[in-house]
Amino acid sequence: MSSNQLTLAPAPPSEAAEQVRLEVRQFLAEELAAGTFTTHVDTWLSGVDPDFSRKLGARGWLGMTWPKEYGGHERSAMERYAVTEELLAAGAPVAAHWIADRQSGPNLLRYGTEAQRKEILPRIAAGECYFVIGMSEPDSGSDLASIRTRGVRNADGDFVVTGAKVWTSNAHHSHYGIVLVRTGPPGEGPRGKHQGLTQLLVDLSLPGITVNPIRILDGGHHFNEVVFDDVVVPGDMLLGTEGAGWHQVTAELAFERSGPERFLSTWPLLAEFGRRAAATGDPAQLATLGRLSARALALRQLSLRIAAALDRGELPDIPAALVKDVGTTFEQDVVDEVRRVADVAASLDSPDPLGRALAEAQLHAPGYTLRGGTNEILRGIVARGLGLR
Amino acid sequence: MSDQDLVVETVREILAGHEPLLLSAERPWDEGLWADLAEAGLTGVGLPEEAGGSGGELADAVAVVRTLAAGAGAVPVAEQLLVAAPALLAADLDLPAPEEPLTIAVDGAVTAEPSDDGDGPGRFVLTGTAVDVPWAGVARYVAVLASPPAGIEGAVLAVVDTAGLAASQAVNLAGEPRGSLVLDGVGVPGALLSPARAELVRARYALARAVQISAALEQVLAWTVQYAGERQQFGRPLGKFQAIQMELAEMAGEVTATAALVDAAVQALDRGEDTVVLAAAAAKVRAGSAVEVVAKRAHQVHGAIGFTQEHRLHHLTRRCWSWRDEGGTELVWSRALGAGLVAGGGDDLWPAFTRVV
Repeated sequence: MSSNQLTLAPAPPSEAAEQVRLEVRQFLAEELAAGTFTTHVDTWLSGVDPDFSRKLGARGWLGMTWPKEYGGHERSAMERYAVTEELLAAGAPVAAHWIADRQSGPNLLRYGTEAQRKEILPRIAAGECYFVIGMSEPDSGSDLASIRTRGVRNADGDFVVTGAKVWTSNAHHSHYGIVLVRTGPPGEGPRGKHQGLTQLLVDLSLPGITVNPIRILDGGHHFNEVVFDDVVVPGDMLLGTEGAGWHQVTAELAFERSGPERFLSTWPLLAEFGRRAAATGDPAQLATLGRLSARALALRQLSLRIAAALDRGELPDIPAALVKDVGTTFEQDVVDEVRRVADVAASLDSPDPLGRALAEAQLHAPGYTLRGGTNEILRGIVARGLGLR
Repeated sequence: MSDQDLVVETVREILAGHEPLLLSAERPWDEGLWADLAEAGLTGVGLPEEAGGSGGELADAVAVVRTLAAGAGAVPVAEQLLVAAPALLAADLDLPAPEEPLTIAVDGAVTAEPSDDGDGPGRFVLTGTAVDVPWAGVARYVAVLASPPAGIEGAVLAVVDTAGLAASQAVNLAGEPRGSLVLDGVGVPGALLSPARAELVRARYALARAVQISAALEQVLAWTVQYAGERQQFGRPLGKFQAIQMELAEMAGEVTATAALVDAAVQALDRGEDTVVLAAAAAKVRAGSAVEVVAKRAHQVHGAIGFTQEHRLHHLTRRCWSWRDEGGTELVWSRALGAGLVAGGGDDLWPAFTRVV
């Protein structure tokens, strides 16, 4: 089979990762005890808390793998993995810095100019500088290459950007976006529209940018529409190569799609269910707990392998698509499976913490298999890895 | 080329001379395949030379088992190399010669009493019926996990020479022998195992089946991708239809996730981690649930031809449908995993989870 595109070597065991894991666990226990946060489902989208992000930065838990000259800590991908999964499992408020630490920083490291790196990366690592993803548009969802936001070079060599981006998580709290714009005409053939796309590093405080809130099912404000009205983006804010935006986005998505947040968004619900199953000792609940945990254990191994491959400088875009497909399906299934064996009604006002966790997870559930590429798109990528297209 | 690559190549060469059999009462296993494997020393891989084995690592034994599983080889190699022989070695019991098929029996009601036949310590008398014994009637030796004498915890692991013993003729969904063995006061060598060591034997059996399922499902996926590329309808290969691509991608997700966890559980076993029972439980549960999706989708994509004995697909799908039940069902192992993960209390789920593999 074409499994060489899907199969990756096991991640190396890491003593250092287990060490930092315990430090993070201790920190989280103290913060929880001090009441600085409460556990919620899906907090890498909804849990914005700049103070908390700065605390993580001060402890060296952001930009962990980056070179020290850019404010990083030159630690291994396995150490970073341990930190991120501990934060997710605890349902900690990590949304402010999440995108910047996960994908924007690595993108800058890979493609940014020296000036861009020096200016921005240390601030991300300090937990002070937050990013949005500027990919989807009102008329371009799964068909990302059809975007219409344009960047036109003016006489000064700057880009004049016009258009709109949507589902832009936490734009109202963020400082920069890496925005995919069309700067040149598409080429010929079915993949021709991948040409002429460019990534720009956009300061969200520039004149001409408007951020409009879009509320999700539970009423929360995380999404936005970001409108660009003749925004002049300095030419030196070009990210990478003009016209190579599609390739750069593909690399960015390998980071975006493969992390533990692609199967741990509903872990706080599973943790609450674990408490219930332990208390009741009900065999059906314990079996469900075991079945869901087995799925999560497999996903964790897959996700760890991708982290190790990224660390080796590989571009495992196809395994990343696969893990996000399987992982986000699991996140939704946690809701369904738990409610089948737990006699509790989902409500944000429930006196029962399991009822509240179920409600949060259910109201966020449609997003899991949409954000970062719908599962249908991801399966198409996996099919390509199987040699079918 | 790694050692495992060499092992895999050797097994594949041997398999090439043995088409998968349609098993029957007259032909319950592939004796010729076993003879070729034994002659090449492959029935002793991973077992130390001083115990009569061929040497090598656990990874080598797993490679042999995976290759035979993917090739639907009807031989008791998984039982011998991954379960019975390592269990006997761990209990300081002598191994039968690796050329003689050795299997495992963990189910049924067999009790062991210390022998008073004058042969000294380490002898037991077994009484009762071992059920669901893989390759009953085929394997010359059976490592039986029996109930210990009254008042003692754990189990007795004993080696039974089945020469002269009759086995009932039950088979699994693929026709592999899974009969019962009546033990009527048989005097045999054995050893007392602690409860933890007895559970480890069961975990080995579960993990062996998970390894086989993982390898077989990878092969099923490969066959299905190949078929979808060859079979034409509406003027194009099936694999060009998005609906088919979605099914194949879903299969790939199941196969890849299962393989990652099974690999990790094998490594936990190799390192002798104390969480290996939970790791094996998780691997078995994950592999079993992958069978649901992968076998169903594979048959759907193959269409009617895959639903016949003329096509090769059934050799693996029927085995997987049985292997997932054997060595402990998903229900048994998922309960054990769930209970094990919260054994330290309901707040301990996440820390326990991160320790499993």
